[in-house]
Amino acid sequence: MSILPTTRRRGADDATDRRLPPREGEVIDRRRTVGFTWNGTRYTGHPGDTIVSALAAAGERVFSRSYKYHRPRGLLTASYLDPGTMVQVGDEPNVRGAHRLLTPGLEVSSQNTWPSLRFDVKAVNGLAGRFLATGFYYKTFIRPERLWPAYEKVLRTFVHAGEVPPDTDRGYYDKRHAHPDVVVAGGGPAGMAAAVAAARAGASVMLVEEEHQLGGHLRWGGPGDRAALHDLRAQVAAQPGIEVLTDSVVAARYDDNWIPIVQRSLSGVDERLIKARAGALVVAPGLIERPYVFAGNDLPGVVLSTAVRRLVNLWAVQPGQRAVVLTANPEGDAAIADLEDARVEVAAVVDARRGETITAAHGRQGVRAVELGDGSRIEADLLVTAVGWTAPTSLLNQSGDNPVYDPRTARFRPDPARMPENVLAAGGIVGEGDVVQVVEHADAVGREAARRALRTAGTAVTVPDLAVADHPEIFSNGTGGFVDLSEDVSAKDIVTAAAEGYDSVELVKRYTTATMGPGQGKLETVNTVAILAEATGSTIAATGTTTWRPMYAPVTLGALAGRPREPVRYSPMHPWHERHGAVPLVAGQWIRPDHYGDPAAEVTAVRTTVGLIDVTPIGKLDLRGPDVPKLLELLYVNKWQKLGVGRVRYGVMCAEDGVVLDDGVTGRLGEQHYLMSTTSSGAAAVWEWAERWLQTARPQWQVHVTPVTTAYASVNVAGPRSRELLRRLTDLDLGAESFGYMSVRTGTVAGVADCVLWRIGFTGELSFEVHVPAAYGLHVWEQLMAAGEDLGVRPFGVEAQRILRLEKGHAIVGQDTDGLTQGFSAGVDELIKLDKPDFVGKPELVWQHGRDTHPRLVGLRTLDGTIVPPEASQILDRAGGIAGRVTSSRMSPTLGRSIGLAQLDRELAAVGTRVTVRLPDGRDVVAEVTGRVHVDPEGERQRV
Amino acid sequence: MSETTAAAVARSPIAASPATVLDGWEVSARAATGASTLSDETPLAKVLVRAPFDGASRKALGVRFGRTEHTDVGSGEVLLVGSAPGEWLTLGAPGTAPALRTALEERLAGTGEFTSVLDLTHGRALMRLQGPAATTVLAGVCAIDLADTVTPDGTALRTSVAAVVTDVVRDDVSGVRSYLLHCERSSGQYLWDALLDAGSRSAVEVTGFRGLGSAGSAR
Repeated sequence: MSILPTTRRRGADDATDRRLPPREGEVIDRRRTVGFTWNGTRYTGHPGDTIVSALAAAGERVFSRSYKYHRPRGLLTASYLDPGTMVQVGDEPNVRGAHRLLTPGLEVSSQNTWPSLRFDVKAVNGLAGRFLATGFYYKTFIRPERLWPAYEKVLRTFVHAGEVPPDTDRGYYDKRHAHPDVVVAGGGPAGMAAAVAAARAGASVMLVEEEHQLGGHLRWGGPGDRAALHDLRAQVAAQPGIEVLTDSVVAARYDDNWIPIVQRSLSGVDERLIKARAGALVVAPGLIERPYVFAGNDLPGVVLSTAVRRLVNLWAVQPGQRAVVLTANPEGDAAIADLEDARVEVAAVVDARRGETITAAHGRQGVRAVELGDGSRIEADLLVTAVGWTAPTSLLNQSGDNPVYDPRTARFRPDPARMPENVLAAGGIVGEGDVVQVVEHADAVGREAARRALRTAGTAVTVPDLAVADHPEIFSNGTGGFVDLSEDVSAKDIVTAAAEGYDSVELVKRYTTATMGPGQGKLETVNTVAILAEATGSTIAATGTTTWRPMYAPVTLGALAGRPREPVRYSPMHPWHERHGAVPLVAGQWIRPDHYGDPAAEVTAVRTTVGLIDVTPIGKLDLRGPDVPKLLELLYVNKWQKLGVGRVRYGVMCAEDGVVLDDGVTGRLGEQHYLMSTTSSGAAAVWEWAERWLQTARPQWQVHVTPVTTAYASVNVAGPRSRELLRRLTDLDLGAESFGYMSVRTGTVAGVADCVLWRIGFTGELSFEVHVPAAYGLHVWEQLMAAGEDLGVRPFGVEAQRILRLEKGHAIVGQDTDGLTQGFSAGVDELIKLDKPDFVGKPELVWQHGRDTHPRLVGLRTLDGTIVPPEASQILDRAGGIAGRVTSSRMSPTLGRSIGLAQLDRELAAVGTRVTVRLPDGRDVVAEVTGRVHVDPEGERQRV
Repeated sequence: MSETTAAAVARSPIAASPATVLDGWEVSARAATGASTLSDETPLAKVLVRAPFDGASRKALGVRFGRTEHTDVGSGEVLLVGSAPGEWLTLGAPGTAPALRTALEERLAGTGEFTSVLDLTHGRALMRLQGPAATTVLAGVCAIDLADTVTPDGTALRTSVAAVVTDVVRDDVSGVRSYLLHCERSSGQYLWDALLDAGSRSAVEVTGFRGLGSAGSAR
């Protein structure tokens, strides 16, 4: 059966099929094909292909244009870290094409290329490259500052990134909490062995692998590696207690092993952020192959040896036709064998271990020739480099370790002595060895990790040493080239930065942006350090690395945000409000009716007949115990000892600094039973305030404070006919004599027992506040509306309530006061009883009263009653300075003119004083100071 | 009183659809067929006891902070929950709150301690998340370690669930993992929706009121 050709594109003339015959260990499913488009042209690949492996199999070499110079870029690592394979997939930008698996129907395109990937006009930047010096943006666009918006607009068009269309679906980003005993970061041979050992020791394990399958480098190895891979995978699968997370990454390590893990490739979920709290963390990420820095090193066709091995062995893709290989290690040697096996002509092997080197790669859209160190020039379309490894030590750095440079191995290595007790390392990051040695070492690490996580008694597991292999130090050959292919930072840029005085690696990083691209320095850091060290005449060890901070890998904002968890609160009457056209108002977490279409008409209804408002959010605290009066005396500025059963009193609370904290009424329901109300927004704070004083300052007092805000649905029945309405639904005596103003009763309303009725008035009208056991709130509300139909009852919302209370001159804490408003500035002078022995805030209020220089809360009316000065409008003194501000203002339907409250300097606070109000549009209007009560100052309407 | 009012029906903060009336409460008429379910248990009587943390009252109640007990305090079977230091939540059958409160007051009367007994039936929402997916769903909205070794059956704790202060009570039913989630009433619908959202990938189904008896008697 012929299986060739298996990958092809349609509509292209120069199609080249580079798919190899089936290979042991390949990860593609040749029985099925997957269709997708690349820049509008249709291609096919197989399940298991990445976007780039499928394109490479079809002969494509260029996948993107570079960040700054728009140079053509191809495949380098054939892994998640590949800097030249960022693509746009549908409406998703910055997709790592060498990692994202092919799925049917993908629409893949190159990013920020115009008119095409092949002929990108912005490549003209390359011609201007000599003028794009290090720190070009900083130097060039700093002045004139006013032009920055224009600069920004132009520069943004050059940014090498994809697009997020405005109508992009928000996606589903999940979150999960987990508490595994052991997290293993890395699913290669060491990670698998450590996970199995830890699980066998009784630990629950999360095994996290960045690639789509477990196995690490064993996946693209020879028969021996594949056998080991098969065995280890079988052990993982057979071992209960291991949760395998592939295409996932341990993004960071925080104190006490708080470990965020980002999980991708989930069904129905874009990404999931797992917040894991692990007993122990085993860091086993393996090693990352390091690129070589030389002239032409960014040309498509210059690839790492591991990329060759992945392409050939995982995806059966022939990486080129004629290759030059620069090798300094066994992985490079193995790549040579793979190339030959893939029918690639190996034109030259340059062995760095023998001191051989290359000078440059030449070509335009890709490698065409390689210039060797001896001056010879070899025609080739592929240059493979195998010059060393970088140990990805980020998670160890974040754990407090500080890996040091080891010239013998030419890489930074961890210092086990500096690792915290709950962090261990295994695998290539520690040392080399054959698979057996690595597994033996990791097995011991896994057992020790379990022992520490489970706090098992006994001696520590003896972890064998893992040998390290010598490796020549090869970083760059001094001919130029790029250090950071993500950011288009060249070797010359590093040298120039050093010459300009940026001789610290941290400064070089920020000045040149080297290591700041999507790869986060995993490919670039060591080369950057090496070139800087050479430029400054220092050593790599002395130069050190930049700081590896979280996150280890880029994390989407969606993953960090997760599901929107913003609690909202509803009253029991909310469904009724929705059905009757209430316009919602978000008040803290509460969703309240702002109005039902016409707030002015709602005000008029309350003033003339009767209205209902849902005031469920009013804070309510149940107070019980013999010492409640003492607590009230302590917290409120007024007196409470003589409050009788059945009576209600208004009170104001201040903090120790005398600043108004909250207000409300408290009713005495029984000898030792009170119900306190607070502002809607202050309910939680007042509860905590009361508990704080009881638990810390007066623990001997016998008082229980229990929040019952939503145990009651609260309805304010307000208006001259409110008594008439309520009488239809209760047998309670509502008469003016028997149930007078500022009284409280309990009884049955609309068939619901245990209701609490307060005869109070925030609106200035005769009104009853009815608190109903919450589950019956909707029932009582509906009964009130039905019973009052002939009276013209109508619901009113928060806006009407605000107008009504402003007409009556009632202040709102937090609106007519602020975080600096002390008691005597809140219009409650007569309430503050300085003759009480003690109460919270008294010393400050005594001082405020004695000084008598404080602002006052006053009424305010503009002379032109049609003008409503917006709240927060400034009030000017005679010299034009700020003398106060408008705190509340509305058009009064009752008076037919604007009214307001204001905080005003003492000198201007006398009734009748005329002041200037500066409106936000700059106009000045004249207003007159009045008493605070605009409607019914004698209170005749509410005391009937 | 001149008006004849309709019979009062108690309503949970969680919308019931389709709805039916049970013991004077409007409840969901759904009957799930799946293994993992979410049910609204708000109609259960909820009575709160406040008393010293570790004195005679605790001994009289027989439950310490952080633990639960299915028991009978004289008003029928209840679930007694040590919900916070010096605070006990008692769950009983719908409509039994007055009797439960009386029974608790009688039990505590002889302790000589300062105690309070409050009926919070109307002030709280209560739901039960049950089945094999319960842990997965809860782990999506709650940071607590739900392993048997840390929070075994009979555990009670107060924590954040989907950013709402919630009493989480592990109350397994016939060996099936089950959690009671108890929060302030006005956040009930939000918490319910958040749990369904977290359970949307775990095939969690809404089912009707289960009641305490079915849970407790099956233990």
